[in-house]
Amino acid sequence: MRATLLRSGSVLVAVAVLVLGFVGYRLAATADDDLPHVQLNTDNIGPRPIEDLTSKSVPRDYALAWQTMEQALNENRPGLLDGYFTGFAKQDLTRRVNTQAKSGLRTRYTDRGHQVNAVFYSPSGDVMELRDHVQLDMQVLDGSKIIYDEPLSDEFVVLMTPGADRWLVRQLQALNGKKP
Amino acid sequence: MRSLALVVTLLMSISAAASEIHPPAQVTAGNGVTIPTSGSGDATFYLIGPAIASKVKVQAGTQVSVGGDQLEHAGRYVAILCASDGCTSANFFVTPAAANKLSFLVHPSRIPVGTPNGITALGIVHDTFQNLVLKPEPVTFSILAKNAKPVSAERPSENGIAWVRLTSARTSGPTKLGAAIGHADEIRVVQQVAADACNLRIKASRDKRGILVETDPVHDCAGNPVPDGTVVSFTASDAAGKTTVDVPIKRDVAKVEMPIEGRARITVASGVVTGNELEVGQ
Repeated sequence: MRATLLRSGSVLVAVAVLVLGFVGYRLAATADDDLPHVQLNTDNIGPRPIEDLTSKSVPRDYALAWQTMEQALNENRPGLLDGYFTGFAKQDLTRRVNTQAKSGLRTRYTDRGHQVNAVFYSPSGDVMELRDHVQLDMQVLDGSKIIYDEPLSDEFVVLMTPGADRWLVRQLQALNGKKP
Repeated sequence: MRSLALVVTLLMSISAAASEIHPPAQVTAGNGVTIPTSGSGDATFYLIGPAIASKVKVQAGTQVSVGGDQLEHAGRYVAILCASDGCTSANFFVTPAAANKLSFLVHPSRIPVGTPNGITALGIVHDTFQNLVLKPEPVTFSILAKNAKPVSAERPSENGIAWVRLTSARTSGPTKLGAAIGHADEIRVVQQVAADACNLRIKASRDKRGILVETDPVHDCAGNPVPDGTVVSFTASDAAGKTTVDVPIKRDVAKVEMPIEGRARITVASGVVTGNELEVGQ
């Protein structure tokens, strides 16, 4: 009797492990699917040439920054900005989320991808400047009512700096399309 | 009759889309604006910007005032007016004000003297509201060394960033580096330390417990004392084999007592620099 119980328990544990593993795998796959598409072009970068690892981590972390920003603005959760934003960018976006929440508003973005040009990488490797041409659909909701729904094509100037284990967005500023 | 119905329908559709909003296409950061609206009745005005999302009750057909404090952050703003006949919107851009602030980054904070292009100084140009100013602006970098005339060089910013590479001075000690734009200036201090030891020399004398080996005062090639704590390695080779002792410099000198009996050869090194050799014993 005891042996049967033990055997049943082992089978249950094995099944639970398999189910949890599958769910974990699916969740990870979903998170990757939702990641905005970022195409980084480093042909004009300078004065420091970009390292192979950095050329992979910058677009990944920039995409994660956009993903968390879009989620923070959709769900009014400023804490989500802690992961990939710092400095003025984090300060401004936190203020935006807080004022949104106070007014009962939300912003929903559908991200259609980013064409990113790296234009500057400091000699000491502590600042990278990007120009991002992004295609977005932007919806503003007051409660559940959509009060604004437009496709946008914007250009952003972005400053990123390296953190302990990732690149962080320090400045994110939309341009009006005119060359300075 | 059909024409009359068409005209009535057109008039109705025009009156239904009566509320409109007309913000200026572009505003300089920190300046307030008045946004004309059309239509009539109670309405809600929304302003969505990089660091703001506000909602206020207004009367359609009046002018909506937006204060400069709501337009400090450069970027795209969306103005939305919702009245009984629906919502209408318009986009406008806030552009940076005049350059007035600098973020000044200097790397590294500690460097050996005489390192060619070893220091990078980088200025990021901002306006009063911390917007990145992309218009080219002249940034003046200066070196304010102790007991020397200040040296400065001007570099134009490109995409909001100006930078310069500098060679560290010949003498050790703290050096101030400055960057200035308009009325704003920032100072950082770089500690310049002696480079590798130069002409490393040792002398030895016998005492009761063995051989006392010590260096002459350790300097770099420009005569700067190598900082205390820099490790000097003494190696003694005798019939029993080889013994190495690492000793930090203390008050310009490194010394060690080595229990050597008989003949031995003693060598000294610090980093990649080697010094003289001594033969001791019978």
